[in-house]
Amino acid sequence: MLRPFYSFVYVVGRGMRGMAQAPAVQLIAVSTIAVCMLLLGVVMLAWSNAQGMVQAWGLDVPVTAYLIDDAPPEQVDAAMERLQTLPEIESIDQVSPQMAMDRLSAGLGEDGQMLDGLEPSVLPASLEIHLAPGTDPDFAHALAERLGPLPVIDEVAVVGDWAGRAHDLVHTFGDLALGAGILVSLACMAIVWSTIRLGVYARRAEIQILRLVGGTRRFVHGPFVFEGMVQGGLGAALALGMLYLGFDAVHPFLESGLSLVFAAGALHFFTPMELGIGVAFGAILGLLGSRAAVARYTEV
Amino acid sequence: MAIIELNNVTMTYGRGTRGRTAVRGVTFAVEEGAFSVLLGPSGAGKSTLLKLVLAMERPDEGTIRVAGRDIHRLRKASIPYLRRNVGVVFQDFKLLLDATPMENVALALQVLGMPRREVRERAASALARVELDPGLRRPARCLSGGEQQRVAIARAVAGDPPILLADEPTGNLDRRLSYEIIELLQAIRERGTTVLVATHDPLVLDRAPLSQQIHLEHGRLVSLSDDEAAIEEEEVPEILPASWPVAAEAVA
Repeated sequence: MLRPFYSFVYVVGRGMRGMAQAPAVQLIAVSTIAVCMLLLGVVMLAWSNAQGMVQAWGLDVPVTAYLIDDAPPEQVDAAMERLQTLPEIESIDQVSPQMAMDRLSAGLGEDGQMLDGLEPSVLPASLEIHLAPGTDPDFAHALAERLGPLPVIDEVAVVGDWAGRAHDLVHTFGDLALGAGILVSLACMAIVWSTIRLGVYARRAEIQILRLVGGTRRFVHGPFVFEGMVQGGLGAALALGMLYLGFDAVHPFLESGLSLVFAAGALHFFTPMELGIGVAFGAILGLLGSRAAVARYTEV
Repeated sequence: MAIIELNNVTMTYGRGTRGRTAVRGVTFAVEEGAFSVLLGPSGAGKSTLLKLVLAMERPDEGTIRVAGRDIHRLRKASIPYLRRNVGVVFQDFKLLLDATPMENVALALQVLGMPRREVRERAASALARVELDPGLRRPARCLSGGEQQRVAIARAVAGDPPILLADEPTGNLDRRLSYEIIELLQAIRERGTTVLVATHDPLVLDRAPLSQQIHLEHGRLVSLSDDEAAIEEEEVPEILPASWPVAAEAVA
């Protein structure tokens, strides 16, 4: 049966006509949502780049134990098993020489060609030890002292205390992003709620008639919910567009001006997947805001 | 077979000392295919009874059955499916004043999930039945009272509902237009639709071939006169769709 399809066509068509009936209201709503989402986008982008830098500098791996050449696998496994029993250790990654070479090549970017012809075996295999959140930074040094004498371990490297501060910075950005996310979500929903409420009020006669001639709740609410989703999605898309333009303009200066902090190409924008999630997030906020508005104002 | 049954229905607007009882213990039944009229002065409870049948209001006491179903025990989500089977002409027409007659009638068909082409065809057919030009491009606010009434009737019958309720359909019209509307309602009834009209216009009594008169005063039923012979003489076609009055999936 195609009835749901034709109803959907009606809902989309009516929603678009509803938006066209009040273009100024739509413009204000979408622009305001875009400004709110832009703030969130800036914090999210800073957080994402901070995380990327911490990973690029290896700060996310506080302890790296380099293995001797031809370390017997059973001894390596035994050492890993013993380490895993410690509650302070969250996880251990075993990195082979080939993996290390691949990482190095990827990290060098275009300069990775310099490594052509080099055997991976020039790099040592290693164990990357991630500590559980909240672990005392002194534990890393204590662990290094205990690992050093093991026969399969050649050398142990511990990232300095400042790595903890870098982590704290990332956590702060994360907390800011969460706080901004909550505030921006509420603001966007409030904007959509108030504009949809205006639309509901302007079209109250039509809503009443639709209910009286047998329009289901979904049929009556649909155009308003569609409108809210479009507002939220457009607002988010506009914000991401502005953010991209801003990022494109600023990041060369950041990378060249602070070359000690940022390597060339170290800063990144959102991936297409993240952009899609951002637009969908805006549409979902619009959906929630518009549903709240119509639920209250369209009963007959 | 009774298509509408009210049993000891009482309904009060408001609560406590401010409450006003609009309908008190009303019991009657409307047979399938009948042309019934609810008579009484303003405030007698006629419009309230129509609203109760359309599930716009809930009775405080008693039951209302439409096609054998107690409509006030339906789930809220099922009420639209009831309303699709009950066409209604409101006293104030309830038209979209900025929309054309075609757009007004189409509204009642769009809720049924019809394709646009079918909506246009059926809306044009409904407008033609009430002798209005389907191509009329004027908004409803520019139409005369009689034309607006016709648009409201066309919208009510566009989906071929088995029941048509009309609240004071001649209330705002002159004598000539009132005759035309009564003839129109009679023509709709002849197609098999059960018609229940609320009115205080004596012209309806004079001109309409009534099957039943239900007299109300101060919310009470004061007399009920059935012309059963008239009903039996009429050939009532089997027009109820299998899904009537509520789509099966909506009741489950």
